[in-house]
Amino acid sequence: MAVSLTVNGRERMLDIDSDTPLLWVIRDELGLKGTKFGCGMGLCGACTVHLNGHPVRSCSTPVELADGGDVKTIEGLSQDGNLHPLQKAWVEHGVPQCGYCQSGQIMSAAHLLQHNDAPSRDDIVAALSGNLCRCGTYSRIVAAVESVVGDDAARPDREEA
Amino acid sequence: MSMNRRDFLKVTAGSSGGLVLSLSLPGCAGIQTGYDELDGSWTPDAWLELTTDDQVYFTLARVEMGQGTYTGLTTLIAEELGVTPASIKPRFAPAAPKYRNPLYNLQLTGGSTSLATSWQPLRVAGASARMMLIAAAASVWEISPTECRAVEGRVVHPNGRDNLAYGRLVELAAKQPVPKAPSLKPREEWKYIGKERGRLDAEAKSTGAPVYGIDVELDGMVYAVVSRPARYGARVKSYDDTAARQLPGVLDVFEIDRGVAVVADKYWRARKAQDALTIEWDNDGALDASSDQVFSSYHKAADEDPGESERSEGDFDDAQQGAERVLEASYEQPYLAHATLEPMNATAWYRDGAIDVWAPTQAPDLGRIAAARVTDLSPDEVTIHTTFLGGGFGRRLTNDYIEEAASVAYRIRKPVKLIWSREEDTRHDVYRPAMLHRMRASVSGDRLTGWHHQIVGPQILDWYVRNAAPAQYPWAPKFLYGTLGRVGLMAEGIATPKDHSAIEGAIEYPYRVPNLDIRHTHTDPGVPVSWWRSVGFSHNGFAVETFMDELAHEVDQDPYRFRRSLIDHEPRHLGVLDRVAQLAQWDSAALEGRARGVALFRSFGTYVAQVVEASVEFGEIRVHRVFCAVDCGQVVNPDIVRDQIEGGIIFGLTAALYGNITLEDGQVQQSNFHDYSLMRHDQRPEVVVDIIDSNESPTGVGEPGVPPVIPALGNALFALTGKRQRSLPLKATV
Ligand code: FES
Ligand code: FES
Repeated sequence: MAVSLTVNGRERMLDIDSDTPLLWVIRDELGLKGTKFGCGMGLCGACTVHLNGHPVRSCSTPVELADGGDVKTIEGLSQDGNLHPLQKAWVEHGVPQCGYCQSGQIMSAAHLLQHNDAPSRDDIVAALSGNLCRCGTYSRIVAAVESVVGDDAARPDREEA
Repeated sequence: MSMNRRDFLKVTAGSSGGLVLSLSLPGCAGIQTGYDELDGSWTPDAWLELTTDDQVYFTLARVEMGQGTYTGLTTLIAEELGVTPASIKPRFAPAAPKYRNPLYNLQLTGGSTSLATSWQPLRVAGASARMMLIAAAASVWEISPTECRAVEGRVVHPNGRDNLAYGRLVELAAKQPVPKAPSLKPREEWKYIGKERGRLDAEAKSTGAPVYGIDVELDGMVYAVVSRPARYGARVKSYDDTAARQLPGVLDVFEIDRGVAVVADKYWRARKAQDALTIEWDNDGALDASSDQVFSSYHKAADEDPGESERSEGDFDDAQQGAERVLEASYEQPYLAHATLEPMNATAWYRDGAIDVWAPTQAPDLGRIAAARVTDLSPDEVTIHTTFLGGGFGRRLTNDYIEEAASVAYRIRKPVKLIWSREEDTRHDVYRPAMLHRMRASVSGDRLTGWHHQIVGPQILDWYVRNAAPAQYPWAPKFLYGTLGRVGLMAEGIATPKDHSAIEGAIEYPYRVPNLDIRHTHTDPGVPVSWWRSVGFSHNGFAVETFMDELAHEVDQDPYRFRRSLIDHEPRHLGVLDRVAQLAQWDSAALEGRARGVALFRSFGTYVAQVVEASVEFGEIRVHRVFCAVDCGQVVNPDIVRDQIEGGIIFGLTAALYGNITLEDGQVQQSNFHDYSLMRHDQRPEVVVDIIDSNESPTGVGEPGVPPVIPALGNALFALTGKRQRSLPLKATV
């Protein structure tokens, strides 16, 4: 079917099988490889992107449900070449080990900060508990998120609601 | 292979067009890293390239799978070369003999050896290059090299004003003699080693930029999936692909060694076509065991065969006869999956009589063998391109996914990417073996007089040797591969080294005891097994340190003091044990409703002691805090040490709380993260890691955090409930 998506601010038209998970569209049709495949069942969070401002598991979202929607991936998080405050915090705190889960972790955290000015540690943990990290970087992830709480740049009121 | 000194130094045209000073510097004699004394060769291990445009390229001969080699090894080179670590451009080494790990004579990353084996050679490589650059500058200025200094990529004149950038010196430096004994910087002068530094790959890994195996993209690439038998060892009897072939985008369906491959223009279409396939399997000779049978066969083997003695001191039988009390316990541990977050995958392209493979592999030269075995190509016609790895933990030492991708590519002659689903990854892993331990101890008064440990289970090398032997003997004609595999199996010590995978951590029992007997009863139920983060230490640690706890209880002693009294002859053990007791405030009471357990374990040369604080809440085990003291010798990057140890703790707790691969009629029962759970954010304990200051040679940290945390948690639960759990995973109620 013909699908139109706005991805990281750019309009994209595609002809694709309607049941294809959004994940594979993002990765293979649009060439944005930062979004990862981990489980294909909504269990690990590696594939997390924002769809119309909501964090979704793109592995379990058929592209037809995203038709006409607005998608943001890890590649769209930094703006004008500047890293998002979360990304800066990730570097400062030396968060990634293998790094494979981190796009998903950051996308979940970015959504939280967009909607919660002052999340508590419990809020952060709750928002991220769907994102698995096999390398066990959890404590640094939480510390990195906490370090940007209150940073206005973490909540640019962009296209997201 | 011995090399002439002159071979180390090459002046060539670099990719940038400029002149390149390449120094390939080998491991050297006298270091503890397993240098090959037999032929006296310096095994080249690193490849440093300096260009006239001031770039420094460093070829990483160990893969980056999260354990930090990318940063750690680069730091070593940078320190001695006199440049900032961030200014170096690391690149991954292709499969080539000169990049082999000298400990294994294979190019592989595992066993927490990267830093230990690189510590000396990389610093020597950096120092040699630095001295040659200084000599070059000195010759320009017509002064003595000893008057010049190297500072951040420049050689500085004693007048403090003049300086020359490395890039300008490259050509001249390449003509300088290679220093015979380059002098390494003394510890006081280190600027980067041992200092808190971020990870060089952190920014890339926070923006989605690194290319993992699964991200490789080639023009005209197609996608493959493979249906494999549910029971290990089954073969395709017949299959019907009529329906599958009619689906859009399907290019081909065919049988390969390991199952039936479906190739399509898109990944999702390949998956859908796979669903439309019907396959009949020939289960003759296939695995049919169930987990219960595995353990009953272990107990039977243990009864019938006392096993080979691996370490014996004094006379345990005597001790047992003269003892007031004899304590016995047996421990069982299940199969475990690796569950790297990036599932197995590989991309391959066969063209012009040769095949290129892009893969996240821990063992690139074994990957060449794997690809050669399933095609008519020789290993020389296989090129392996290593990518970033989305976790390794030992899984990617086995290259079954490369075998599959190569088989498919060889047939369809297009670039093809093969991706395993999570379900396939869980069900077709090569597992941490299930193991049985039978422990016996003799006690008189409050004294431990005898220790007996019988380890029951398979050896990993039996499974691995089929791949490893030909890689170590690349000259062997292909028809010999099978034979080499068997030689490895049957003539242990000839083609393969002794396999310590089952007994490591048990034979190094460190506590003082006059009579000791440690044995291995070798029995293999036929389930494919492999190395898994910390390998044999992962199960021996649980057996030894849980039984020590039982003994402490038996003689009415505090578990920390009991251990302490038996290990005061081992200063590094004692050092971490005392430190962790302080950290955890062992002597003060635990918080209401919580209890603590302790464990002490050395693995891969690194000493680790841990205290776990746990409770049971709402019917679930809750791990609140983990305290950890670690002694890993000199520290290259303290931040990465803490990070790896904490990661190991989470990995170990995941095994202790959830890890359980079970078999039923030869089929693995688990499939995805709902039934093979990993620890999540909301279950994570607070972790406190303290590193002992040391002048000893550095040892690895990727694995040693794992083993002690499992018994420490079990011991905490015993302290909490008074009930001893002797099998894993641990339960909230027993
Ligand atoms: S890949 Fe989508 S949640 Fe795991
Ligand atoms: S950093 Fe490896 S899975 Fe999270």
